Amino acid sequence: MSLTAFIGSMELGLVYSLLAFGTFISYRILRVADLTVDGSFVLGAAASAMLTLEGMPFAGILAAMAAGAIAGVITALLQTKMGIQPILAGILTMTGLYSINLMVMGGKANIPLLNNTNIFTPAENFGGRAYKIIVLTAIITLIFMLLNWFFRTLLGLSIRATGDNEDMCKASSINTDLVKIVGFALSNSIVALSGALLAQMQQSADVNMGSGMVVISFASLIIGSAIIKNKNITMGLLSVVIGSIVYRLIIAMILTTNFPPSYLKLISALVVITALSIPTLKGKVRKNAEA
Amino acid sequence: MLKLNSVNKTFNKNSLDEYKALDNVNLHLAEGEFVTVIGGNGAGKSTLFNAISGSVLCDSGKIILDGQDITYMPEHKRASFIGRVFQDPMRGTAPNMTVGENLTIAYMRSINRNMMGVPSRKEKDYIRSRLASLNLGLENRMNTKIGLLSGGQRQAVTLVMATLVKPKLLLLDEHTAALDPASAKTVTYLTRKIVAENNITTLMITHNIGSALSMGTRTIMMDSGTLVMDLKGEERKKASVEALLKLMTKYSSNTYRYE
Repeated sequence: MSLTAFIGSMELGLVYSLLAFGTFISYRILRVADLTVDGSFVLGAAASAMLTLEGMPFAGILAAMAAGAIAGVITALLQTKMGIQPILAGILTMTGLYSINLMVMGGKANIPLLNNTNIFTPAENFGGRAYKIIVLTAIITLIFMLLNWFFRTLLGLSIRATGDNEDMCKASSINTDLVKIVGFALSNSIVALSGALLAQMQQSADVNMGSGMVVISFASLIIGSAIIKNKNITMGLLSVVIGSIVYRLIIAMILTTNFPPSYLKLISALVVITALSIPTLKGKVRKNAEA
Repeated sequence: MLKLNSVNKTFNKNSLDEYKALDNVNLHLAEGEFVTVIGGNGAGKSTLFNAISGSVLCDSGKIILDGQDITYMPEHKRASFIGRVFQDPMRGTAPNMTVGENLTIAYMRSINRNMMGVPSRKEKDYIRSRLASLNLGLENRMNTKIGLLSGGQRQAVTLVMATLVKPKLLLLDEHTAALDPASAKTVTYLTRKIVAENNITTLMITHNIGSALSMGTRTIMMDSGTLVMDLKGEERKKASVEALLKLMTKYSSNTYRYE
């Protein structure tokens, strides 16, 4: 693998580890596969791109996070207050977001940002070839520390407990609806941050850039937990970052062969299918062996 | 302390499966009273608990706890002053969180918590000391995932969780029924101890008529959604397991004849 390819996959791995932080919260902590992600990722990219065009890349990042949080709140409200199944609630928000995203992007499917200052620009002077990695590492360290603290606070504990045993939470006087709303807002806010950074890093936002993001992030979570055991929240969050980077390195290695890149999403899906089905298949093999 | 006035609950109203789970139930509990509840399957014991805890809202009537009308208060709000232990040890604790984290969540019930805060040293010490009072050595396993504990240990922790902040009312729903005999004995002993030490008003459902009579200060029997027996004082001291069992069999055979 060339150095350029390595740096490229490190950059992507870091950006996507934020995406995976988001799904870590919805999938691992709240135990819901939240498909809003495919839409909120693009929403973040769109908001970030539009404000970058206006010369406000930092405001773009913040706006993206706020917009992502709102998307999460909507999905959570559909689930809790309207009684819609969690998976369907995510699909509905994701579908609706497609139109919203186009609206944010002024009706254009693609926004190029080639000549605009972005949040990576200031680091160009001192960072050398790794300047994007430096900025991303700083952001991820910050988010990592914030989440690591947050999930030890009483609100954070309530979110974890709601995913683990909702009955127990109700019996402990926790408003589980409210807790889910906070959880999904936080999750999608970080997902949107991931999209926002990717748009500025790749200097373009595309209305279709979100498709398959859920699966990619699950693949990262699974690879991460295979490398580091999720003993506690700190280890869990760390495994997410490692998983994301390793996933990107694997993809980069596949790309060095003659393998057609159009198969990448199929591979991601197969990785997730394999990892999720292994426990069940193992059980079946054991049953057959006993029979 | 607890007053139920003419509480009614019918499930599947206006359908073939219409089923009256609570039929004009009147029940008054004085402060510090420990009442055991017996009755056959389908007698309405669990619905009674669900109505009091708010996981089921009653159709009519009033539920008043410590002077406050809680008839239509949401479940999670009532839970701040009603402690509950379920039959299934898995139901009362979050398995993938540590013993300490589970207890911290139960401790959050105390009012006006800063949700962005973490428990103080003093609070951690209090939680630990309450766990130590069980004499099960669990205070040394604060960082163990609670799913790794045995059913009896989990139920003992749940009991501490339900009483960590003294509740106005403690509901015990056959909380020893799923345990092996030795664990059931320990949890029964701990229940007596915790209730007595903290003088907690308690309602306990049990299928063990022996413990229904030996524990607490008063025993009620339910059948077809009504209270059919209310024993206390001298009358209760004289009551025998055989007599109660006979009474219960009589009621449940009536029920089965209708079906």
